[in-house]
Amino acid sequence: MDSNMYNKILIKNGSIVDAQKGNIYRGDLYIKDGIIEDIKDVIEIDNKDITIIDAGGLTIMAGLVDMHVHLRDPGLEDRETIESGARAALAGGITSMVCMPNTSPVLDSPSLIKYVIDRGKNTGCSIYPVAAMTAGLEGKNITGMGLLSEAGAIGFSDDGKAVADSKLMFEIMRYSKQFGKPLILHEEVRSFSEHGLMHEGKYSTKLGLEGISRLSDDLMIGRDIVLAGVSGARIHITHISTSGAVEMIRKAKTDGIDITCDVTAHHLFFNDSHLESFDTNLKVKPPIRDVRDQKALIEGVADGTIDAIVSDHAPHLDTGKNTTFKLAEFGTIGLETLLAASYTILCRNKKQGFEKVARLLGSGPAEIVGIDGGIIRKGMRADIAVADLEAGYTVKKEDFRSRSKNSAFIGQKLYGKIIYTISNGKIVYESGLN
Amino acid sequence: MLNKKSILRIDDLTLDDVAKVMETADSFTSISKREIKKVPTLRGKTVVNLFFEPSTRTKTSFEVAAKRLSADMINFAASSSSLKKGESIMDTLRTILAMQVNLIVIRHSDSGTVKMVDDNTPVPVINAGDGKHQHPTQALLDLYAIRSRFEKFEGLRVAFVGDFLDSRVARSGTRLFEKMGMDVSLVAPSMLIPEDHSDLNVYSSIDDVIEDIDVLYMLRMQFERQDRKFYPSVREYNRFLSLDSKRLARMKKNSIVMHPGPVNRGIEISDEVMGDRESPYDNILIEEQVTGGVAVRMALLYLILG
Repeated sequence: MDSNMYNKILIKNGSIVDAQKGNIYRGDLYIKDGIIEDIKDVIEIDNKDITIIDAGGLTIMAGLVDMHVHLRDPGLEDRETIESGARAALAGGITSMVCMPNTSPVLDSPSLIKYVIDRGKNTGCSIYPVAAMTAGLEGKNITGMGLLSEAGAIGFSDDGKAVADSKLMFEIMRYSKQFGKPLILHEEVRSFSEHGLMHEGKYSTKLGLEGISRLSDDLMIGRDIVLAGVSGARIHITHISTSGAVEMIRKAKTDGIDITCDVTAHHLFFNDSHLESFDTNLKVKPPIRDVRDQKALIEGVADGTIDAIVSDHAPHLDTGKNTTFKLAEFGTIGLETLLAASYTILCRNKKQGFEKVARLLGSGPAEIVGIDGGIIRKGMRADIAVADLEAGYTVKKEDFRSRSKNSAFIGQKLYGKIIYTISNGKIVYESGLN
Repeated sequence: MLNKKSILRIDDLTLDDVAKVMETADSFTSISKREIKKVPTLRGKTVVNLFFEPSTRTKTSFEVAAKRLSADMINFAASSSSLKKGESIMDTLRTILAMQVNLIVIRHSDSGTVKMVDDNTPVPVINAGDGKHQHPTQALLDLYAIRSRFEKFEGLRVAFVGDFLDSRVARSGTRLFEKMGMDVSLVAPSMLIPEDHSDLNVYSSIDDVIEDIDVLYMLRMQFERQDRKFYPSVREYNRFLSLDSKRLARMKKNSIVMHPGPVNRGIEISDEVMGDRESPYDNILIEEQVTGGVAVRMALLYLILG
């Protein structure tokens, strides 16, 4: 097959999602040389060197942007590499992803930022590294945020931990303003979380598993909102889990704080009653909280308090999960189920409009981290996902492309299947092929 | 026969199951009183005690129960140092299954591990305690002891006193006793109860309940534990949560006192109440719990394997 033929793609008869305008319309879309050349009701092109996709009954959306991913590269490549993570992302319709700095070594120097960017090239997926806020994620010394920005870091985070030292956090906030990059904050108070395995509530009591109070999240979010109010920094609270977080952030936004937030698909999909299975894939941080928090998160998506949905893709070896609940690692993979899990819980179950959900999976996060993506418009880079939203399937361990298989969604019935992923104008994933 | 092959938690048992266990235990109680304390019922069956956490009482109780039924009992000593990781638990399990055993009795320090073992084995499993989760055979033997002193369970007032947070005994006991129609409450300070305890009546001092209850269930308090730093002192414990002879004297006629053992003398129960060789008070049921425990475990082995 001539590789040139992939340079021209005509997608016909699909439902095109314009997440920015908030509408969905029928139309044809023509891609040439990596760019969206045209979008119209009907496009007819008489050319043999063209790939035609009949998207009748399918949904055409901007390639997804996942702003919270752990690629484990460098250092823990037996769990995931930049290449394997990119393959998994593309299978999930994700064409841009933001990766966290808690690798080994930690992404706290310009050379490591450049390493990730270099390794990300030619994977078919656009990969944007976040650099550490403190050296080695130790919460002691501020990183060289200026040089890291120049090397290509698109934001700063100590993800996996919160900076416990409040004065240091305040100085990080003040200094970050010089570079205009967001601080992506994992919020946790260690003294409340250190022995904890799941949400502290009715089910932790019943199951005899040590609990993590909502206070672990809420106290730190409250602190950082106060610090952001004084410093004027741009902060983004990642993977919020509590109803309190939704309320505080909603209020902070009306108070004029420069704050955004995201939620994971698994925190939207599950609540702590699912932990009765003792399934270690549901052991995540922050913990999956109760049905009241789940409802508040879904409302936060509906009313616009929440700006992005993420996977918090966290690959672990079988030996890290096939063990007792206490010893198991925290985290679930999520790149390949991000769209389906979000669509299933929000649109199928809760009847929210898909155009809004698509925004939280595209232009929402892209705007937060200041990257291109999430928009379908003439003249834009052709990053596109073609999905069959009504296709239902049961998630199976053996179907994952990620190097790790620790998915909380194994055994769940989800709706929304990626049929094609197009990145930079090339078909990089096609359902049924490898 | 019970409704499920394994006993992992109290919720696995129906009321009918509980009644069967009690009645079957009665017949085994009489065997244990004979000169020759052995019947051939489970001859040729192999039972494994797989204990990943130190235990004397429960392990011995199962061993005595199995031997009185003529089953072959193997104690698999799982040293904790070589078994730090779960995959080794699964490897250990594979080894044991390869020996073609008929039933596994298991204890592990991590909640949920017994379920993981049960999910991966075709033979029945009895939970002899998993972390802070459940200890269903303890709850059954406690119920058996209560049954020896009261005509019926409905309406009995029970109070669990002490460390509910870390207690698998209390988690199993509260569920079983409520299932039997008893009125269950908890006496504990804020740091020894879970944040969400909406299902339970909670009192802060033993004095709040001592005159009204039928069953006083004292839980073990382990001050040496690392996360115990939030409870002030033994003196404070004695003031609000301990049983001494003065409090004992205020209890209702025919009321009873229980403890899963081993008792921390001077913490949960005073020395004088415990006595030297036996308690001077006939409403202290601690030894009866142990004796009945053998009969209850014989009943479970019989109902599962017989």
